[in-house]
Amino acid sequence: MSAVIKESAAADQRPLVSLRNLNKHYGDFAAVDNISLDIKEGEFLTFLGSSGSGKSTTLSMLAGFETPSSGEIQVEGKSLIKVPSHKRGIGMVFQRYSLFPHLSVRDNIAFPLSIRKIPAAERERQVDAMLKLVQLEQFAHRRPAQLSGGQQQRVAIARALVYEPRILLMDEPLGALDKKLREELQDELRHLHRRLGITIVYVTHDQEEAMRLSQRIAIFSHGKIVGLGSGYDLYQNPPNAFVASFLGNSNFLKAQVTGNASVQFEQQPLAIRPTSALQNGQQVLLMVRPEKALVLVQEQAAQTPLPAGWNEIPAQVSEVVFLGESLTCSVVTPGGCSLTLKALSNDLQPLQAGTRVRVRWAAADACVYIEWNESDLTKGAGSH
Amino acid sequence: MLLTPNAMGPRLRIGLYLTTAVIALFLLLPIVFIVLLSFGSSQWLVFPPPGWTLKWYEQFFSNPEWMASVLTSLKVAVITTLCAVALGLPTAFALVRGRFPGREMLYALFTLPMIVPLVIIAVAVYALFLKLGYTGTLFSFVVSHVIVALPFTIISIINSLKLFDQSIEDAAVICGASRLQAVYRVTFPAIRPGMVAGALFAFLVSWDEVVLSVMMASPTLQTLPVKMWTTLRQDLTPVIAVASTLLIGLSVLIMVIAATLRRRNEASA
Repeated sequence: MSAVIKESAAADQRPLVSLRNLNKHYGDFAAVDNISLDIKEGEFLTFLGSSGSGKSTTLSMLAGFETPSSGEIQVEGKSLIKVPSHKRGIGMVFQRYSLFPHLSVRDNIAFPLSIRKIPAAERERQVDAMLKLVQLEQFAHRRPAQLSGGQQQRVAIARALVYEPRILLMDEPLGALDKKLREELQDELRHLHRRLGITIVYVTHDQEEAMRLSQRIAIFSHGKIVGLGSGYDLYQNPPNAFVASFLGNSNFLKAQVTGNASVQFEQQPLAIRPTSALQNGQQVLLMVRPEKALVLVQEQAAQTPLPAGWNEIPAQVSEVVFLGESLTCSVVTPGGCSLTLKALSNDLQPLQAGTRVRVRWAAADACVYIEWNESDLTKGAGSH
Repeated sequence: MLLTPNAMGPRLRIGLYLTTAVIALFLLLPIVFIVLLSFGSSQWLVFPPPGWTLKWYEQFFSNPEWMASVLTSLKVAVITTLCAVALGLPTAFALVRGRFPGREMLYALFTLPMIVPLVIIAVAVYALFLKLGYTGTLFSFVVSHVIVALPFTIISIINSLKLFDQSIEDAAVICGASRLQAVYRVTFPAIRPGMVAGALFAFLVSWDEVVLSVMMASPTLQTLPVKMWTTLRQDLTPVIAVASTLLIGLSVLIMVIAATLRRRNEASA
């Protein structure tokens, strides 16, 4: 939650980095398609997308390893396009650690300082501080090959931070680590960011990681940014059906407009959020998160009156999967629309496949989309 | 099932050991013979030698012609090695990192001297140098040796460069090093085993080379193999066995160095 609260503090700061109409073409293929984005000073921004969505290419252009086909990259209003990588003063952490294999941990971290011809005494002091920061003091004299994956990545982070860059780029830095270690390092990274106040641009395909770390997330698909905002906003109010389906789980219902706040779904009237520019008879897409809907057996539904502003539809249970703290329940409506609902284990009575149930949700909790592509509704649509 | 020595039974196993021993002997015996003969007292290279002596070594080391040929061989081999690495390094970078049309063809072209019969290269280079008047010079030896040594150097460096993760070099660049600094301070140390192996190969190729050298040689400038060749045609003296022993000795030494370096590199990786 802290990421959500900090968002408002970062919001009134001027942009540190501006991407303007950035393009990268390989022949006919647009790897990055006209991206514009402001990165605020001190924020933790994550590029989230599947492989080939353009997130890594955008990061590479920020680092200067790729030259944009067109467009502008500015840091504090000054163009970076003609500045070579080694003069950009940006820090970067790579997926495969990319430590210098022939140098000790200490010399790896000292490398950026020795390139900058920092005097030896000052260099030692800064390297010591970094070793302390990433808690690797006792490994200072080891070679990278003698460290575990997590330790190697901490060395890489120290090496990227030692020259105090204002921007730190991280290209799937935890991708090669196992889940437990990854979560540990995610916590460390979040604390590091809070302590140093550095601007971090992070690339990942792991949405949980993006949620855990970032103040803002930019969702990439086919070379474009299709969603930008805090993890909370993107999850609760996805700007489009693609983001809704990409981030978390979602149920989609196709309905016919009957008014500016009402639709018809399988011959039943449903309430929706008041939405402007709707035309009667038009098809719209409703999106309900699995945990926002309730499943009630017939008797329960008869005893509990429907609260105002809620919808109810009949359905039949097709499968119940117990997941420990929660369980998911798949149901099918009479019209053949499949929904997946999620509840805490305690809240839901044991259900059998075939049981007739009523599904309820608050109209305000369902997002309404006027335009969508069929391919957006299946998960992982961005991967091709 | 794997046919391991344990799984094949005693009969088959002994058969395998015997075959291996015979092949090893077949490969090693000529070398062993020539080394033994260099210490034999017979003037006619009789085996087994009737007695043992060091007089052929004395003759070899006191003969200025033999000494001059050893010196020439060493000079040519060292310069060839330096040239092959100096040319092979940028070539390997271009062939691995370059994104230009015809890259594969260029690679084939550079490795061609390994496939084309040596005699054809020798005749071609000889014809050219005869016309230019370069035969019998150190330059002609070096150029012709570099032609045949370069493919070994290039392949050796290419192999280690392909194994090198380029993001390590990128990391050095983003840390503030220019591309050249990064290559010099990070990439070179990482591909050093390949460079050293390439250099040793180049040295060996030049040190053992005879076909090209015979064409390039003059009565006053000969490499050791050429001197052996010309001496052999006049008389069969055991001094030749001494020269052979030295030739083999240095080659074996270099191969041992290469193997040691490789093992040390594998241990540290």
